[in-house]
Amino acid sequence: MNWSLLFQSYGSVFLNPEVLLMTLLGAAGGVLLGAIPGMTATMGVALLIPFSFGMDLIPSIGLLLGIYCGGMYGGSISAILIHAPGTPAAAATLLDGYPMCQKGQAGKALSIAMFSSFCGGIIGALVMTFLSPLIADVAMEFTSAEMLMLAVFGLSVIIAISGQSIAKGLISAFFGMLLCTVGMDPTYSAKRFTFGVKSLYSGLQFIPVLIGLFAVSEIIAGVERIINGEEKQERSNEKITEVLPGLSTIAQIWPQILSGGLIGTFIGAIPGAGGDIAVFVSYGFNKSFSKHPEQWGTGIPQGIASTESANNGCSGGAMIPLLSLGVPGDAVTAVILGAFIMKGIQPGPTMYVDKLDTVYCVFAALMLANLAMLVVGCCGVRFFAKIVSVEKKILYPIILVISLLGAFSINKNVFDVGVCVLFGVVGWLMNKYEFPLSPILLALILGPMCEQNFVRFMDLNGGNFLAILGRPIAVGFFVVAVAVILFSIYNQKKINKREAAAKAAAKGE
Amino acid sequence: MKKTQSKAFSNLVISIILLVFEIWAYVQTLSFKVVKNAAVQPASFPQFMCLGMMVFTIVLLIQSVIKLMSMKEDDPLAAPAGSINFLKSKGALAALVVIALCIAYVALFEVLGYVLVSALIAAAIMWIIGKRDFRQILLVSIFVPLLMWLVFYKMLTVNIPMGILQPLKNLVDMI
Repeated sequence: MNWSLLFQSYGSVFLNPEVLLMTLLGAAGGVLLGAIPGMTATMGVALLIPFSFGMDLIPSIGLLLGIYCGGMYGGSISAILIHAPGTPAAAATLLDGYPMCQKGQAGKALSIAMFSSFCGGIIGALVMTFLSPLIADVAMEFTSAEMLMLAVFGLSVIIAISGQSIAKGLISAFFGMLLCTVGMDPTYSAKRFTFGVKSLYSGLQFIPVLIGLFAVSEIIAGVERIINGEEKQERSNEKITEVLPGLSTIAQIWPQILSGGLIGTFIGAIPGAGGDIAVFVSYGFNKSFSKHPEQWGTGIPQGIASTESANNGCSGGAMIPLLSLGVPGDAVTAVILGAFIMKGIQPGPTMYVDKLDTVYCVFAALMLANLAMLVVGCCGVRFFAKIVSVEKKILYPIILVISLLGAFSINKNVFDVGVCVLFGVVGWLMNKYEFPLSPILLALILGPMCEQNFVRFMDLNGGNFLAILGRPIAVGFFVVAVAVILFSIYNQKKINKREAAAKAAAKGE
Repeated sequence: MKKTQSKAFSNLVISIILLVFEIWAYVQTLSFKVVKNAAVQPASFPQFMCLGMMVFTIVLLIQSVIKLMSMKEDDPLAAPAGSINFLKSKGALAALVVIALCIAYVALFEVLGYVLVSALIAAAIMWIIGKRDFRQILLVSIFVPLLMWLVFYKMLTVNIPMGILQPLKNLVDMI
């Protein structure tokens, strides 16, 4: 490592007013964009690429990375406040974020999300700075076998997020996986469950389903609660004296931040796997090894920390294959790759030899983008937390019209709005009959990855599934997945026993 | 509580409905294209998912039957089921009206345009859930969709149908 060049590059980024301004603007835009359900960081980066034409490389990369990191955090704002994740990567944040908000701790939840995002991002940036060639080598070992087992590992989390009934959780998960098969088969282009509807050929779009299941269903349930007189108006009495979490909270959440950041960085470095997968893996991993797994999902800081650090850790991870190999780690880095090429720079192994100063500047810009996100988050946390104080009778219609517009904006297609409404009804019914929604979400994220890699692996190995035993990384993932499943079943049984005992005691009184 | 109002009974009914759905879905997969010499057919993965769903639905069904058999009639300790009886619950009826409004929203989205149809649904929902301040209803239902349209159209360059309010779009384009 060339330390003098590293410090020089960091200095040239952190002391350049144009880079500082652009990164800050990017982070502010990213946070706002990420907070709108349906608008993702990828869209933000794609939209702003033309604006970066006239800029030098580093300010333009600062702008794009600012949007990337800001968008990752921004998605958690709507997940925590209105039960509608702004981005797929924030989907797991609502598991504990929204219950915390319902407890009147919206400000605390937001500050934990912001701090964890920042720490996760910094962990990702540091790992990227010091270990990127090493991680890139491991990531490039990933073939269809490893990707399949990574998906299986991700799916092993389902039991941990299934709630009381494992059977219902698994029915939800299989239903989600079945939904993934709607449309043209990715390998042989066979039509599946399309019923002659052309809009179904490309399958069900993830974001409209996500918005429907979580936001629209919550609005329908909210209207029902208001009419039945069960809805409480949160006039949040929470006084936000500190925009960052206190030391006692940080002491509680640091293990989840650290593990989440590392998990996010590693998963982000694998091409094709992004923040949406990392957050669930991190959540399930941390819940499985928690001393109090029964508290997860009830609104605890650790739940938010584990997911938010993972999704921002991904930003650093996703840059690793981009810079080291010229292979983007996710959709956003694919767009950033375009920005590099536009500036006449081809990322890849030779970049570490020919353009080492640029590589270090990118590392520094990512660090700066996370700092900018923290600054923007600190300024906005009081304002965002006020949203829950808006009267529910006004808030619900507002969320509905914004959510439905978010569903439309993905493909500019009214069919997606219909899909969103349909899944709103499905989500409402599932909630009513206590079928957990999160396994569907996880299945929708991992289903396509699972099927495509399974088909590819079987085709390459002449239908011999046991050939997977010759891939040590894949076997490793499988063993960990089995361990997580067994541990989750054990934990869930323990939780159910404790809850039954508590209920019996309460009835005895 | 009667057995038929318990969670166990609702789980039993849901299991039967789900089984019917799963069998239907499985039968659908039988008509998918068959690819020669393919290690995994296009129908294989969805079939596996249907079978997986069936296995756990049967588990749920058995659990429900066991629970119902061990439960006494009018058991006060039985967990109550969620209800969607629109005739008995005003809340469920309101939820049904909101669902109907959402379906109408989708049908009218392109005809009336986003701003108008959103203003109508927002105002209708506020009215249904008991908001009676007309100034607030008008202000929120017009201002929010208009602002969102402006943000998406001008800043994020997403072209949103304006329907009969197309002249407004032309006006904004001119400005």
